[in-house]
Amino acid sequence: MALISLGLEGTAHSFGAGIVTSNGEVLSNVWDMLLPKEGGIHPREASQHHAELGPDIISRAFDEAGISPNEIDIVAFSRGPGLGPCLRVTATMARAISLALKVPLVGVNHCVAHVEIGCFESGFDDPVTVYVSGGNTQIIAFAGGRFRTFGETLDIAIGNMLDTFGRIVGMRFPAGPIVERQAKEGSKYYPLPYSVKGMDLSYSGMLTAAKKLYDDGVPLEDICFSVQETAFGMLGEIAERAIAHTKKRELLLTGGVARNNRLTEILEGVAARHGAQFHRVSPPLAGDQGAMIAWTGLLQHQAGDHLEVSESYVLPKWRTDAQDIIWRS
Amino acid sequence: MEGELWALGAESKIIRAVWQERPVAIKSRVVKPYLLADIDELLRRQRTARECKMLTYARSLGIPTPAVYFIDRRNNAIVMDFIEGEQLKEVAQHADIALLEQLCSKFGTMIGYLHRGKVVHGDPTTSNVIVDPMGKLWMVDFGLAEWNATVEMMGVDLHLVHRALETTHWDRQDTMLDAFLEGYSSVMGAAAAAVLSRMEEIRERGRYH
Repeated sequence: MALISLGLEGTAHSFGAGIVTSNGEVLSNVWDMLLPKEGGIHPREASQHHAELGPDIISRAFDEAGISPNEIDIVAFSRGPGLGPCLRVTATMARAISLALKVPLVGVNHCVAHVEIGCFESGFDDPVTVYVSGGNTQIIAFAGGRFRTFGETLDIAIGNMLDTFGRIVGMRFPAGPIVERQAKEGSKYYPLPYSVKGMDLSYSGMLTAAKKLYDDGVPLEDICFSVQETAFGMLGEIAERAIAHTKKRELLLTGGVARNNRLTEILEGVAARHGAQFHRVSPPLAGDQGAMIAWTGLLQHQAGDHLEVSESYVLPKWRTDAQDIIWRS
Repeated sequence: MEGELWALGAESKIIRAVWQERPVAIKSRVVKPYLLADIDELLRRQRTARECKMLTYARSLGIPTPAVYFIDRRNNAIVMDFIEGEQLKEVAQHADIALLEQLCSKFGTMIGYLHRGKVVHGDPTTSNVIVDPMGKLWMVDFGLAEWNATVEMMGVDLHLVHRALETTHWDRQDTMLDAFLEGYSSVMGAAAAAVLSRMEEIRERGRYH
């Protein structure tokens, strides 16, 4: 009989609850994102958001799935990496559910979950994954029993760069989609620092330079165009290096910034050059949500992994490559 | 000049040929159609020029590099010595531990000589170190190298070594990193400490806490 898993995600500004079965059905996937009136995400405000809305989001997940809480077999939660206060609120809810319903607790790595839900949707076995969001920019691939980070940002994440730039030029949060719309109107390329180091990259230099272009009165659509071409070009290049290096045949794009069509086009080009298959994770599964935690929790549970409540402290700095991936060989 | 395709990387193709009775490698940077043409052209030009100068400059700092014969700026190609040998990446798969330590320590001294000369390599992976049949190490692929290196830039260079070891040589990474850092520190002396602590710091960045 199929197992039913409840997954709770709460590493940053979003809280989500998803219910997934071991047959691969997503029964529900409810989430809510903190939208600050101004400025960025404050960890404490985000954790308060999760504490206030979490219980209702979880109830809605059960309602939409059409099951009652005592039908679940496991509860999984995002154990890290992420903002400490957010992780602790989420873990507290998961522990309470585990104890009240007497179901095993599973601690899931947020970055690993992004990769696994992408594999779930695409049917990929062993991809190079480009994981791009507000807080993360990583190129991840499986090697030697672990998901290893082949490349990542040396300073700020791509989403953070786009949001910060957007805030400077008066766009609301999240700025990524607005930058994308503006970029479509632009055509003149203004050179920005292109900073690739090995398979890593850096975005802080181009952010400063883009700000300067804005101060100099360069049309916003041209800056947005130049920002996208530079930032996504760098990602395309390190993704290509990772594919050439690992010789893997699948390229997966996931995370909140996966919604961007220009980035998708660039990575399709990368995959085509190497005869690799490409998949962009669909928006409902690409951002931070509970279904990915529920699904990865099932994989871990079926491989015999579970966590004692007394041992279930959160791991704010949990590296992607610090977990033995016992469900993959 | 004709030759055989010897390697096809992410950004370049290398043709093996013979010129003036010498075995040479013709490295050309190919068009990346997914990049904006302005960016692609600029990168290929810049990296070809940089690699060309840096291969020669690095040799003056004591790092064995292939000699450059000429550069074809229209095709962004460099004609250089062909170094017979095996990538350190491959050697590391089969070398015994004593040899591996010796090679990684030498790799460390080479990066140390570069850094002492205020140069960073920019892509210091084990694919870019060639071990010749005499056991001598050569460094190649200087397209991402930079002059006037700061502690931050050197820290990034060491971070990239660390990253390459943990992703490609996970089962032997500790041995390799220790030997590398031992070689590096022996050349850098007192200056090594600041770079090493920067390397640790860089490793923790780029992730939210």
